[in-house]
Amino acid sequence: MQFELINVEKFYQASEENKVYGARNVNLCIPEGEFMALVGPSGSGKTTVLNLIAGLILPTGGSLKHGGSDITSLSLEERTQHRLDYMGFIFQDYQLLPILTAEENIEFPLQLKGFTQQEIKERVSWALKQVGLEKMGKRFPKQLSGGQQQRVSIARAIAGKPQLILADEPTANLDSKTAQEIIELFLKLNKDFKLTFVFSTHDQRLIDQVRTVLYIKDGQITETRTHNV
Amino acid sequence: MRKFAFQLKFAYRNLWRSPKRTIIMLLSLSLGTGFIIWDLNFANSGSREVMKEFLTQYAGQYHISHKDYYDPENKKEFNNYKTIKDEQIQNKSLFTDSTQRVTAPVFVSGEKKTLGILLTGLETEKEMRLTTLARAVTVGKFLDPYGEREIILGKRLAQRINAKIGDEVAIIGQALDGSVANELMKVVGLLDFGGGDLEESLAFTQIKSARELMAMDEDQYHLRVSFDMENEKLPVLPGLAVTKWTELLPEISVSIRFIDHFTWVVTFIIVLVISLGLSNTLMITFFEREQEFQSLNIIGAQTSWVTMTLLLEVFMMGTVAIVTGAIIGHIVTTYCYYFPINIQLFTGGKPIIMGGMIIQPLVRIYPVMEYYWKVPLLVYFFLGSTMIYPLIRVVRRSKNAI
Repeated sequence: MQFELINVEKFYQASEENKVYGARNVNLCIPEGEFMALVGPSGSGKTTVLNLIAGLILPTGGSLKHGGSDITSLSLEERTQHRLDYMGFIFQDYQLLPILTAEENIEFPLQLKGFTQQEIKERVSWALKQVGLEKMGKRFPKQLSGGQQQRVSIARAIAGKPQLILADEPTANLDSKTAQEIIELFLKLNKDFKLTFVFSTHDQRLIDQVRTVLYIKDGQITETRTHNV
Repeated sequence: MRKFAFQLKFAYRNLWRSPKRTIIMLLSLSLGTGFIIWDLNFANSGSREVMKEFLTQYAGQYHISHKDYYDPENKKEFNNYKTIKDEQIQNKSLFTDSTQRVTAPVFVSGEKKTLGILLTGLETEKEMRLTTLARAVTVGKFLDPYGEREIILGKRLAQRINAKIGDEVAIIGQALDGSVANELMKVVGLLDFGGGDLEESLAFTQIKSARELMAMDEDQYHLRVSFDMENEKLPVLPGLAVTKWTELLPEISVSIRFIDHFTWVVTFIIVLVISLGLSNTLMITFFEREQEFQSLNIIGAQTSWVTMTLLLEVFMMGTVAIVTGAIIGHIVTTYCYYFPINIQLFTGGKPIIMGGMIIQPLVRIYPVMEYYWKVPLLVYFFLGSTMIYPLIRVVRRSKNAI
């Protein structure tokens, strides 16, 4: 099921006359298996578009659809449930829970989803294997390097096998070697399991690797490029 | 259930995110709870023990009398012509812990002065068993059970009429048959009530002598005073009046009630102060984690899940602290049961006088079961209240989880 943004706009009313646009006339279709990057300078609206896709904020105009259903009509709780059911998230600063081990961090959204203990065990093990941290499941985040923490964050995002993974600047806090490894991991997950990724990024190495690049300026998609990967 | 177990584990781990802070909160809550329980036990035992001590000295738990003996409006006034007999009391088991008394408003005349006093005739042997009145005789001796026409006077009364041990004093009054009652009695002892009013207005003699003076039959008396201190329930005796000490000594009863209520007021203030301190710490703790709450919301945790987790954290901490506090409070209370507290420490060493009598200053603290659930409930209530603002803020922020 694909995600769609149709004529979406999002503005913030700074004053009666002064509207600040985070997104303007955004039309976007994210088919299954897409590997897409939102690119633009700081303040261009990348994160706003990402938040709109996630249903974290509601548009002031247009509509957000998932499999044909309108997300904007959902309540706050329903949108949270929608994210839990269909999306995975990867953050720039990993956002792992420091009090939980790597395994437990991955287990967290699965517990919320209500999987059985057996399913959770299998999925955690599978996710850890995919990110190459099979032997580090019992470690707490502070016992892991930045790259390893981001891998745990990726494992958490993919463990529920979501239809869409949103990643906000996932390589920004990593050194170049680790960033390259993480990008290769994204590519592998996309290729092997047809996982759909939408990145917000400045990282040229990642931009070079994605299939679709959307250039955003002042909340508008100014250019779309497609690569063969 | 499994989801809840995971949530519990999550909440428990969160408590140890900042161990020092959690330990400080646990300590303040548990010590506060322990202190409050001990303090309430102390206040309760203090007033009850002091009261028991006071009532055992002389006043008794309740008086059985003719229904018209005490003035219904003012129990300090009494009609001395109204007497009773044992045959009027059907429940003979009441006799075990009670003693007969004859009261006679008389003049006592020494070599220097004549004063109006209340002379009380006592069943000497029973009084020695049931009361501690004999302990107050600091000069001379208590009344001889087999003697007659002996009198013991309050120290100040003896001073004012210039009577000494071995002197004879003249007693003049009105007998119940209307004749003039007069008798010479020998001073055998002086009572020390700590210099209060009672020392100047009370005297005691054998009940037989008092009956003779008042021209009363051998089985007639005014009061049967019960010292059954453990049973506060009053017997129902048709045709007779049963008057509790609280009616006879309303000023003391009110003081005790005031102490009880004031202790609870102090308890409320202590819990409130602890709660405000905790509220501040909780707010800091929660606000430090706001970004984390937002991330949890982004990855699919409902706001209700987050707030429930926070409530669980505080509930867990509160339960551990309250149970620990109750144990601490109980241990200290038990210690003070075996090693009573001398309440003269709080009066600068001065004797404690109540209703005109010196009170034994050692207070043995007894645990009162109701405090072990009332105090925890109170602490939970305030703890819950301290959560309201931080939780509202968490809910508001999670709605803007960007």
